[in-house]
Amino acid sequence: MKLFRPDLLPGLLSAIGFLLLWKAVSLFFLPTFLPSPAELLARVVAIFSNPSAYLIISKTLQRVCAGLILSMIIGSAMGLVMGLRRSVGSFFDSWIMVLLTFPAISWAFLSVLWFGLSEVAPIFTVVLIVFPYVTINIWEGTKALDKELSEMAKVFRAQRLLRLRKVLIPQLMPYFFSSLRISFALSWKIALVSEAFGAGLGVGKELTYWFQSSRADMMLAWGTSFMVLMVLIDALILRPWETRVFSWRQIAST
Amino acid sequence: MSTQAVVIEGLSKKFPSPSGFGEFAVIDALSLQISRGSFASIVGPSGCGKSTLLNIIAGIETYDSGEVRILTHDGGQSGPRISYVFQSPRLLNWLTVEDNIKFALEAHNIGRVGWDQQVKKYLEMVGLAGQARNFPLKLSGGMQQRVAIARALAIEPDILLMDEPFSHLDEITARKMRVDLMRILERAGPTILFVTHSLREAVFLSEEVYMMSVKPARIFKHLRVDIPRPREPEDPRLFDLEKDLIKEFFAMLEQDQQ
Repeated sequence: MKLFRPDLLPGLLSAIGFLLLWKAVSLFFLPTFLPSPAELLARVVAIFSNPSAYLIISKTLQRVCAGLILSMIIGSAMGLVMGLRRSVGSFFDSWIMVLLTFPAISWAFLSVLWFGLSEVAPIFTVVLIVFPYVTINIWEGTKALDKELSEMAKVFRAQRLLRLRKVLIPQLMPYFFSSLRISFALSWKIALVSEAFGAGLGVGKELTYWFQSSRADMMLAWGTSFMVLMVLIDALILRPWETRVFSWRQIAST
Repeated sequence: MSTQAVVIEGLSKKFPSPSGFGEFAVIDALSLQISRGSFASIVGPSGCGKSTLLNIIAGIETYDSGEVRILTHDGGQSGPRISYVFQSPRLLNWLTVEDNIKFALEAHNIGRVGWDQQVKKYLEMVGLAGQARNFPLKLSGGMQQRVAIARALAIEPDILLMDEPFSHLDEITARKMRVDLMRILERAGPTILFVTHSLREAVFLSEEVYMMSVKPARIFKHLRVDIPRPREPEDPRLFDLEKDLIKEFFAMLEQDQQ
């Protein structure tokens, strides 16, 4: 392995430049208003030296996962049925459009009114905002299904379940994964907003607490910590899963 | 060779005409019989309705009148088993080669017990025994089409329909595939209805050649190719047959125009 990789140089320069600029600007402000990179790092370390941080993060993570999984299941199932049955598609078309255009912030408030300070509120908010995107994406995918393969399956007398498992769903996997990555990014942002309004314990609640104490440094520290965690989940779980599912795509190098 | 595998009588099929007014007949009063275990070809120019005919036999296209009967090996105890090799391989690229074949076996409710043996037998027959665990996209176009042939043979069909299966391959690969197909048939021996626009391909491969006229598609010539197999692609008798048939085809065209 070569130690010097010229292709990595622009990325490296951009990161160093960003840190230097940040440091320079932070010199003009109080650390609680805009901390320097080193100060921010110290806050992050402080957060994680307190055991309650892990409880807070795991609470939020649970809500993100519950909302994401429910959205993926509901959205995929609806998109699939809407695509395979044209009548169902035109029936739900306007429903999905209404959900997509309804202001996201209203759901966050409404779910607190409807469900109070319960676990249901943030999950409900995430699902209502995220699943319509999944539905639309999978529905689009069904429009690109290969008719020749469906014809092949029909000639070989493949039953409905077999066709679904081996012919239709695999063709929708690219749409499933693009929905999953977008939904994941959306879910955790929405979950935090929703926690800020409702939930008893969570990263969103921490953010409101530190906001009320005018502590920008702590807000940034919580924000970056959670962001790093989300990036790690994406890189260590979602991407490898996607690569595995699409391993058949690697065309021979000959 | 007296038992029939496919009997088609007075088959007609109309499509709405492209101008928007009325209909035109794609297939008109077409009749043919294919005996069990024989290799029959249908030759005709592009757009003469050959593929439509195959799709009708395969049951994925409707027809307006006439009769299509596929006689099963067990005298109609079960539905007929129909296999199809298309112009393109139409494999499920996300499944391995062996799982592609198992897809056809599962679709036909063939007992799981025999799957591995069946897969092995037919992959060996098409010369791809070593590729069972590979994904289709790692194979060349010719190899993919061999997998499609193995898939079609594996269900041991009452009739194997082939729609210009070598037309997407380069000529050298196609030539090898034709010779290989001959060799495979010595072992598997299904009933085949092969559609092509190439007279040379038809006379080389078939025992029976049906020539089709254009719009409406009708059988205007039925010919038996009595040259014993295995045949050489360069056999002068095949060239002579091809020349005669081409002459006849153009004579028919001129007659039609008068």
